[in-house]
Amino acid sequence: MIDPRSMTEPMQPPYASGGTVTRLAAELWDHLWPWSRSGFQRQRAIQAAGLALAVAASLAWVFAALGQLAPAAIIGWWFGWSVFEIAVRMGSKPYVKEGPWWGSRYRRAGLMDMICYVGFKNLLIGAVMFIGLKSAGLLVL
Amino acid sequence: MNPLSALRRLAVAALFATTALLSAPVLAEQGAYEAPLPAGINTDAELCIHVPCGEVVPGADSFSPRKGKPAYVEAYRSEGGQKTLVGYAFLSTDIVDIPAYSGKPVITLIGMDTKGIITGTKILRHSEPILLLGIPESVLTKFIRQYLGKFVGDKIEIGKAREGEAMIGLDAITGATVTVIAQNQVIMRSGVAIARQVGILKVEPKPAIRFAAVNDKLGWDQLVAEGSVRRLTVRPEQLGMPRADQPYIDMYYGFLNTPSVGRSLLGDDGYNSLMSRLKPTDNAIFIVANGTDSFKGSGFVRGGIYDRVQVAQDMDAYTFRDLDYLNLWGLKAAGAPAYKESAIFIIRDPGFSAAYPWNLVFLANKLDRETGHRDFVSFSDEYWVPARYMEGGRPAVIKPDAPWVKVWKARALEIALFSTLLIVVAIVYAKRDALTRRSTRKNKWPVNAFKYTAWIISIGFVGFGLLAQPSITQVLTWFHSLLFKWEWELFLTDPFIFLFWIFIIVTTFVWGRGLFCGWLCPFGSLSELLYKVGKAIGLGRFQFALPMKWHNRLKWVKYAAFFVLLAVSMFSMGLAEKLAEIEPFKTTYLVGLFNRSWPYTLFAASLLGLSIFMERPFCKYLCPLGGALAMPSTFRWFGLRRKQECSSCKACAVGCGSLAIDEHGRIDHRECMHCLDCMVLYTDEHACPPLAQERKRRLKADLPLTPIGKDGYYMPIKKVIPIKPVPVTKA
Repeated sequence: MIDPRSMTEPMQPPYASGGTVTRLAAELWDHLWPWSRSGFQRQRAIQAAGLALAVAASLAWVFAALGQLAPAAIIGWWFGWSVFEIAVRMGSKPYVKEGPWWGSRYRRAGLMDMICYVGFKNLLIGAVMFIGLKSAGLLVL
Repeated sequence: MNPLSALRRLAVAALFATTALLSAPVLAEQGAYEAPLPAGINTDAELCIHVPCGEVVPGADSFSPRKGKPAYVEAYRSEGGQKTLVGYAFLSTDIVDIPAYSGKPVITLIGMDTKGIITGTKILRHSEPILLLGIPESVLTKFIRQYLGKFVGDKIEIGKAREGEAMIGLDAITGATVTVIAQNQVIMRSGVAIARQVGILKVEPKPAIRFAAVNDKLGWDQLVAEGSVRRLTVRPEQLGMPRADQPYIDMYYGFLNTPSVGRSLLGDDGYNSLMSRLKPTDNAIFIVANGTDSFKGSGFVRGGIYDRVQVAQDMDAYTFRDLDYLNLWGLKAAGAPAYKESAIFIIRDPGFSAAYPWNLVFLANKLDRETGHRDFVSFSDEYWVPARYMEGGRPAVIKPDAPWVKVWKARALEIALFSTLLIVVAIVYAKRDALTRRSTRKNKWPVNAFKYTAWIISIGFVGFGLLAQPSITQVLTWFHSLLFKWEWELFLTDPFIFLFWIFIIVTTFVWGRGLFCGWLCPFGSLSELLYKVGKAIGLGRFQFALPMKWHNRLKWVKYAAFFVLLAVSMFSMGLAEKLAEIEPFKTTYLVGLFNRSWPYTLFAASLLGLSIFMERPFCKYLCPLGGALAMPSTFRWFGLRRKQECSSCKACAVGCGSLAIDEHGRIDHRECMHCLDCMVLYTDEHACPPLAQERKRRLKADLPLTPIGKDGYYMPIKKVIPIKPVPVTKA
């Protein structure tokens, strides 16, 4: 029977039953690491390409920090990676949190849920990186 | 009415608006928006070859090359073979680099006569989104014409002149407050700077510094630590150059008249020698520097001006000529760093007083990587002689309020009322459970009284009164300010939008976008109010909602609109601003339905007209701001309640005007407008089917109706076993 309290069916990531600190630490790792062993088993090509693209996007940030990449290019890279991250996560970690960030309810992610999650998360990461590099004088416009 | 025919109307209206956006007359409105400027405008000595100086100094027929620091040109009139000086023309960006709302400056050419009266102003280029479409550029031109005939030394501010204050008030531009406040600063500061330089405005002397009897000999680190020696560093990246290990310029500087500091830096002989060469009103500073470039400038010639450094105090700037320069032969303070160039500069103007704070300013040109143009930029650092060196310590300095502080003070009552509205709405919504329990399906007034009041205040006071309509253009502007130049002051200058966005961000994370969109958005409120009024006056039979199948397709349009705008803004902010006309907010509130060209009026009127027959068509399907806010609403902390029976019962879904409840009874918080109708039903024992069923069962069984719990069910009846009294035995 469908639970009307959750927009999609409830789902439990492997760490859901752990203590609060363990769970939040695992969530933090989840935000930064979109791959999983099960994801690799099911969609090797996408996951491997995602890993390669993530390395390239990380290098793009390093180049930006070294002043070797224009801001428009780094924004382009970050956007491109974000699109791919959605595909990777849908295969490897297809869940999102339901309710407050300190809670422990999760549900299966629809495509729009994942777009919202990855889009918002990467916007925050991008903004922090951008402001950080600008404040340090490493990125100039 | 057939939903599909309504849809066709919507499509036709959208087509009209799009056609209007792309039509030639609209493009012609562009004027000075991002207007291309000649390459040499910022650097060429002959400024008036590139800009129409004659327009701002009427009667002048010839102009000198750029001169002075900051730069200006002299305007002459030829009469009988003789040239008479009739005024001055100057480019705002040669003097100040104050950004406007867009984060970029409004480049203005200003003319002034020899008495300091402003004779002309001309906007050469701006990047203000509101002036691209919406408010015609002619309104800004009209605004700056208010300066004509005004004396640059007058206190001119935006708003009405207040009684008892010697100030001249200028009419602002409704909907472009930030732009005009920035522009006022640009014109007045530029005018004062040139008027002081050419001797029209005299500097009022300040009390001179009186030194306390301190005769310490300090090392370099101690001097730096106490602020007697300060540092100003400019890196090549800050000037648009490639990053390098070495700074462009790295200057240490300080005030040498202070006996203890002067003796520590120059030694007793050096200090005594310097003081013997100074008049009582002269002040000496030193600069030592490293870096890839020079603070003296490679093109310096005898008799010229050192055009890379100056001292600024209040509105006055002091530049140095060769006669103001002395050699600095060495630094005696222990631990002083090595340096590649040095100087002692003398400030000979009696208007300068070291008792008050002053700034060392480094002037440079920044390379715009996109256009290859060089723009004027300045870097400064404040210096104030430490209190222990002054008799009686530092004097009290009352700094004038920043423009945004003035706005907040001038509109304190409105800000208080607006803040109260936001807080009250948030509290009412937080207490929604109490209100929905008092309501029933047939009588929703306990909820609606608050919601309708919020709508009416939002439309009248917030929308038409304060013009505080949040818009996707603000999101795009923030994004670009983040990239180019973030100035908190600029956003604080519009207090209502600033406060509204704090409210929106907080409440979207706590409850989702519905509280703003459903209760406080001025356009959304107007849209739904029209729908309710339509129903009340008997148009209910014509009102309709799209079938869920169509709704579920069309709801994605608003997300697409948001992503398209965001993507386009990366390439062209101007085009993104034009496409943002998909929001009818400017037409409805900022400019007015009847003050715009007909395609905009038709588009906004069509949406409002459609709103009478369909609940919030714009909010549901087109609003890019709604789309942007819906995305974080996925992760709102607290949602609306559901019970298991909702998966099969359609009662709430049928009554959901937002069409946010799906066939399984699940609420999509990205689409929900928080009307709370479903929450009223949730605890209505006569209308909620599972609750009504339980009520009937209990009444039939003669069981009490216990209060309804948070789970939406009657609290269970538990049989209480009476406790037999225990006989008390006496000891």
